[in-house]
Amino acid sequence: MSDDLKTRVAELFKEKSKGDKKMFYIRDVVRWFPGEDRHAVQTAVQSLLDEEVLQYWSSGSSTYVMLAEFFPKE
Amino acid sequence: MANSKTPLLDELEKGKWPSFVKDLKQAAEKNPMAEDLIGQLELSYKEKIGHWKHGGIVGVKGYGAGVIGRYSDRPDLFPNVQAFHTMRVNHPTGWFYKTDALRKLCDVWDKHGSGLTNMHGATGDVILLGMKTDQLQPCFDDLSEAGFDLGGSGSALRTPSACVGPGRCEWACIDSLDVCYNLTMTYQGQMHRPMFPYKFKIKVSACPNDCVASIARSDFSIIGTWKGSIRIDQKEVTAYAASDLNIQQEVCDLCPTKCMDWDGKVLKINDADCNRCMHCINLMPKALRPGQEQGATILVGGKAPIVKGALLSWVIVPFMKLEPPYTELKDLIERIQDWWDEHGKSRERLGELINRLGMRVFLRAVGLPAVPQMVKAPRTNPYVFFWPEEIQKEVK
Ligand code: HEM
Ligand code: HEM
Ligand code: SF4
Ligand code: SF4
Repeated sequence: MSDDLKTRVAELFKEKSKGDKKMFYIRDVVRWFPGEDRHAVQTAVQSLLDEEVLQYWSSGSSTYVMLAEFFPKE
Repeated sequence: MANSKTPLLDELEKGKWPSFVKDLKQAAEKNPMAEDLIGQLELSYKEKIGHWKHGGIVGVKGYGAGVIGRYSDRPDLFPNVQAFHTMRVNHPTGWFYKTDALRKLCDVWDKHGSGLTNMHGATGDVILLGMKTDQLQPCFDDLSEAGFDLGGSGSALRTPSACVGPGRCEWACIDSLDVCYNLTMTYQGQMHRPMFPYKFKIKVSACPNDCVASIARSDFSIIGTWKGSIRIDQKEVTAYAASDLNIQQEVCDLCPTKCMDWDGKVLKINDADCNRCMHCINLMPKALRPGQEQGATILVGGKAPIVKGALLSWVIVPFMKLEPPYTELKDLIERIQDWWDEHGKSRERLGELINRLGMRVFLRAVGLPAVPQMVKAPRTNPYVFFWPEEIQKEVK
């Protein structure tokens, strides 16, 4: 996985999170990069999750990803 | 009961069946979380609305699954259930525990949570109900210490489960325990790091009795079966004939394909017509046994209703030999998941995707041939349509 793609995923996340919508399905993220290999985008998301730039949010049945800074505080 | 604080819940203690309300009250004597749970539940019954908010919290460090976050929307009334998360713990395959493992599990849970459990949830996991956010990590650490790990939740591979199979059951045609354990260990990443469009369930039954109900409850069902003749021990048949069992009425007449013949002395089966329903074997276990060439039927698409209605799994591979390291099986699982991951919409299960795009597209994508066993039910449209280029080939 290229660092370049990871940076672009993080950048676009910030861009897309400017509105009210903060949580995205992983499929949404893949769709933001139509030219890129799906697995590469997923790997980039995984490593951003590892670095805690992104965070999972789950209802229990479906899982979303979001910027860690917007994760709801208790 | 005039002064009871929970008149509605008390109704559920009446009658002779076990009552979860009794259990909750017992737990409440030791644990304030259980006490507030009762209070909130009574309020829900009174107002006829739920008071739980969906969480967000997904797990512990390094995990994106295994914890289901829940919060009360009335923490003013019930502060002890302000956070009341569920932890899914991967059960041992086939649900075989030693007593000391169960004791350890309960000790960890008494220490960190409400003490309430659901043994076991619909996925198969141990469900630990009700934990505060700051207890998640320490509880997980203690569980790990005791040899347990979290199961799947959210848009992930859910904890695979299997019937007791060869551990206890003479009908097992495959080692459901080993298949399930092997898949669980292979796909830890898919369980704990959700990346799929939605949930994906795998269940393994070692014979067509399908004790884990994999047909109704899993996207990918693995069911033990056999080829060739049901093994018959005529001496035992004679013994059954001398017993209360009416072989003609109870066995032959109820064979769904009417492929059995009993002349009062010898039992014959026309195995070519047998659809391996297990009925005769279930009634005469000493006389009849599954055939010797054993393997599994693979089915896909089962699910309960949520976005769309319920589906039962249907056959895609009539017979597959299953032996470690299960390479053929895993290749198929991965091809199917990859196709679903590429084309599935968010919250669309595999069965729904196949219905939307068609069996023809699915079969081509995963490289399986169309075979008669894929017909879901007689007298529905049985056709898997040809691709135009295949028709051209035929014409030439
Ligand atoms: C205008 C002429 C005909 C019409 C409208 C017609 C229509 C039908 C229909 C509606 C069925 C029932 C299908 C089902 O069970 O779903 C059927 C079945 C059948 N027909 Fe005809 N048919 C005609 C002529 C013939 C002729 C001439 C033969 C034989 C020489 C024939 C042989 C059969 C057979 C064997 C079946 C049973 C198929 C099965 O059970 O799968 N039909 N036909
Ligand atoms: C020469 C004329 C026709 C012939 C030879 C014919 C033959 C057949 C055959 C062989 C079948 C299917 C059998 C099967 O499912 O195994 C069938 C089904 C059927 N046909 Fe015809 N048919 C004719 C005309 C018609 C007409 C004019 C109608 C309606 C106005 C009609 C309505 C149907 C229906 C409703 C079915 C059942 C479809 C199903 O169950 O999936 N057929 N026909
Ligand atoms: S599915 Fe078959 S092998 Fe498994 S426990 Fe049930 S009867 Fe036995
Ligand atoms: S397994 Fe079912 S279909 Fe096969 S012979 Fe026995 S009763 Fe008939």
